[in-house]
Amino acid sequence: MNISLTINGEERQLDVEPRRTLADALRDDCGLTGTHLGCEHGVCGACTVQVDGTAVRSCLMFAVQCDGSTVRTVEGLAAPDGTPHPLQTAFASEHALQCGFCTPGFLMLAAAALEENPALADDPDGLRELLTSNLCRCTGYEAIRLAVRLAAAMRNTGGT
Amino acid sequence: MADPGDMGQAVARVEDGPLVRGHGQFVADLRVPGCLEAAFVRSGVAHGLLRSVDLTASRRTPGVRGAWSASHLDDVPLVPAMLYPEGALDRPWPALATDRVRYAGEPVAIVVAENRYVAEDGRDRARISTEPLPAVLDSAQAGRDEVPLFPGLSNVAVDVTVGEPVDPRVWERAAAVVDTTYRYPALCHTSVEARAILSRPEPGGVLTVWCSHQAPHRLRNDLAAALGLPTDVVRVIVPDVGGAFGGKSETWPEYLAVTAAALRLARPVRWVEDRAEALSAGPRGRAQTQRVRLAADADGRFLAMELHTDAAVGGYPHMGAFLPEVTARMATGAYATPEVHVRARAVLTNTPPLCPYRGAGRPEAAYAVECTVDLLARRIGMDPAELRRRNFVRPDAFPYDTPTGFRYDSGDYPAALDLALKTLDYPRWRAEQAHRRAADGTPLGIGVCAYVERSGAGGEFGAVEAHADGTFTATSGCCATGQAHATTFAQVVASALGVDRHLVHLVEADTSVVPRGVGSFASRSMQNGGEALLEAAHRLLAEARRRLAAQADVPEAEIVVQSGGTLHARGRTRTLGELAAHHPLRAEAQVEPPQAFPFGAYAAVVEVDRELGIVRVLRLVAVDDYGTVVNPLVVHGQTYGSIAQGLGQALYEEAVHDADGRPRTVSLLEYLLPTLSEIPDITLEETCTPNPATRLGAKGAGEAGCIGVPPAVVNAVADALQIDPSTLTVPLTPETCWRAAR
Ligand code: FES
Ligand code: FES
Repeated sequence: MNISLTINGEERQLDVEPRRTLADALRDDCGLTGTHLGCEHGVCGACTVQVDGTAVRSCLMFAVQCDGSTVRTVEGLAAPDGTPHPLQTAFASEHALQCGFCTPGFLMLAAAALEENPALADDPDGLRELLTSNLCRCTGYEAIRLAVRLAAAMRNTGGT
Repeated sequence: MADPGDMGQAVARVEDGPLVRGHGQFVADLRVPGCLEAAFVRSGVAHGLLRSVDLTASRRTPGVRGAWSASHLDDVPLVPAMLYPEGALDRPWPALATDRVRYAGEPVAIVVAENRYVAEDGRDRARISTEPLPAVLDSAQAGRDEVPLFPGLSNVAVDVTVGEPVDPRVWERAAAVVDTTYRYPALCHTSVEARAILSRPEPGGVLTVWCSHQAPHRLRNDLAAALGLPTDVVRVIVPDVGGAFGGKSETWPEYLAVTAAALRLARPVRWVEDRAEALSAGPRGRAQTQRVRLAADADGRFLAMELHTDAAVGGYPHMGAFLPEVTARMATGAYATPEVHVRARAVLTNTPPLCPYRGAGRPEAAYAVECTVDLLARRIGMDPAELRRRNFVRPDAFPYDTPTGFRYDSGDYPAALDLALKTLDYPRWRAEQAHRRAADGTPLGIGVCAYVERSGAGGEFGAVEAHADGTFTATSGCCATGQAHATTFAQVVASALGVDRHLVHLVEADTSVVPRGVGSFASRSMQNGGEALLEAAHRLLAEARRRLAAQADVPEAEIVVQSGGTLHARGRTRTLGELAAHHPLRAEAQVEPPQAFPFGAYAAVVEVDRELGIVRVLRLVAVDDYGTVVNPLVVHGQTYGSIAQGLGQALYEEAVHDADGRPRTVSLLEYLLPTLSEIPDITLEETCTPNPATRLGAKGAGEAGCIGVPPAVVNAVADALQIDPSTLTVPLTPETCWRAAR
């Protein structure tokens, strides 16, 4: 099936089998391998991307469901001039990644949430619930939580 | 003057840039032209005679490029044994099952296709016929040899005793003896990236293999030997690795089958293990059943300990047969128990293969020792912290030769425990507990674990080279899987040379560039690999001195090495880069420091909901002594992550199968990993007793949380419910605790 979607600001035409997941279309058809697959059954969140501004698990969506949609992946998180997103800076400075395999999913999850509600970082329970949706086997999560708070603070003060 | 190498500083990692931008290169991310994808046809039964494998329909599937079972290959590669070949003797493990299957999920055939979807279509069309045999799933049953996995051979692959047998009179005369059993379930490593390999035959008979691995040189040697290739035509590259935790040290049957398929097709072939495969048929850790006896005198001084442990090593002993002996040797724990005797067996069972999982034999030992110490404390009515203090190996007793044959290098166990209790505010929680008990409130318990573990084994290679442009290359035989070697090894080398750490670039994990190496497991990277690089850096400086002495015609003794990688002699100044301008300036080191014994103390406070059985960890304090710490940011990250895995072991994780040996925990909805919501309030503290055997002083870091947390949590829950810790079995599910609270 032919579909067209906008990925990280770029218009793409794809010819995909109906059964092809969005994750595989992004990774294999578009070469955007920053979106990772950790379970392919919707639990780990490593495959999280934004579809029309909402964080979704790209292993649970078929590519054809995204016809006409706007998709943002981790490769599209930094500014067009390459300036890192505050979350990318904060993840590095807080040591919120070790192997880095889960990282793109956490970044896309948190980026969507902070865009929707910049005050989320000041709501400990809300932030905890948000980050509980993804799995990391390396860090023990605390550094991830701190990094999201730091990124929110950087955004609010306008710094990067 | 500040150290430009930032030794000991919590500097941010240099690895992160590509990873946060989505530019990591994990095996599944590699874009290799013409690459095919593999899927495995796996046994649906845990034990049976393989009658036939029909791949006709698989092969006819459009897009399938090849499908093979053992009968279609003239020569099925055999899986090599890791570390303990004696245990695997006469028990061949074909990469694809030949006449018998020994665990559910065992690879029976490989299907290779244009993409994974099609490979799975082909897989689903395969027809296997198996004549089922009774499945033996636990080590006690398997050890009776009523159902042999290898006819004519015992299921007991390894049976070792460690320490002298305890004089029976000790038990008779002791003021207190406790005797109990434990079961440590099978666990799944569950790195978020599961196993993955890509093998590409090159023109000229060379083979390039990218694998998510911990020990590239071993993998190279094993692949070459199993496939009948000369070692030097195989190149193993380890790209980014999405976590490993012991499950990626081995040469698994799937790797051999993928590589054999690639060689037959003369095409690149990749296999990316999916989560269902990893949870149902992938590597397992732990899986021990133990019986422990501990005797003490009237003052609570330990007189003797006895442990019998059986590990269920799965259908093939090749990867896990050495683990029970590790447990046996660690059974002394942190205590000066005069007599310790252990019998440890590796028993074949119809379950997926056992291999090291973060801690690898030490968590099992710490569990047996530390829960039993609490049991004894309860029996004799002594505070468990006090009982430990009375029995610790004293700080002036090092090096300490244990009855189980290890030499503990250094330590201060009481200091670690005292710091843990002080950080926790132990008296306050005891008061809170008394208050709750008086008021019949929610049960609250405090548990401690004083652990000692073993880190680093074997030699390691390191080399440092100075370049004319002022940069340096550090080459290591280790292999990072998330531990920030590029950052931390650069700190070690740069600080020794007195140069900015950003000038030092690390090369590792490619067998064509690194002449030899052992890899990263057993917490050995900094202790052994860091030491090798430090030694190489000092040799480089010595060579630079000699060179300048010759050039300037001055005695070496007059040469002064200054910061910035600069050498001075009689008014002449040369940088290391200048000295490398006309002649390579490079030094190598091969070091083999003895194993070290990091230690520490963990303390947990829990409350247990009597109605729902839910355990809430209110507070966790971890005191670790890793010797010299090169980068606290990285080490704390390791500790945190290890603690999270320890909480998983204590409360959530278990690989479960049904009575026929078919897996029941096949998704992450059944095999439960801790999320952020399960992480309690944690405080990390450290003591520092440098490794006396090395220049660097580092001991292993990263496995302690898996060792210290489970006994601390179990002891705390037992304390809350005022029961014997041995009546609880991990994971402490709500049902387990609900029943225990009745
Ligand atoms: S890969 Fe999509 S949720 Fe795990
Ligand atoms: S950093 Fe490895 S899984 Fe999160």
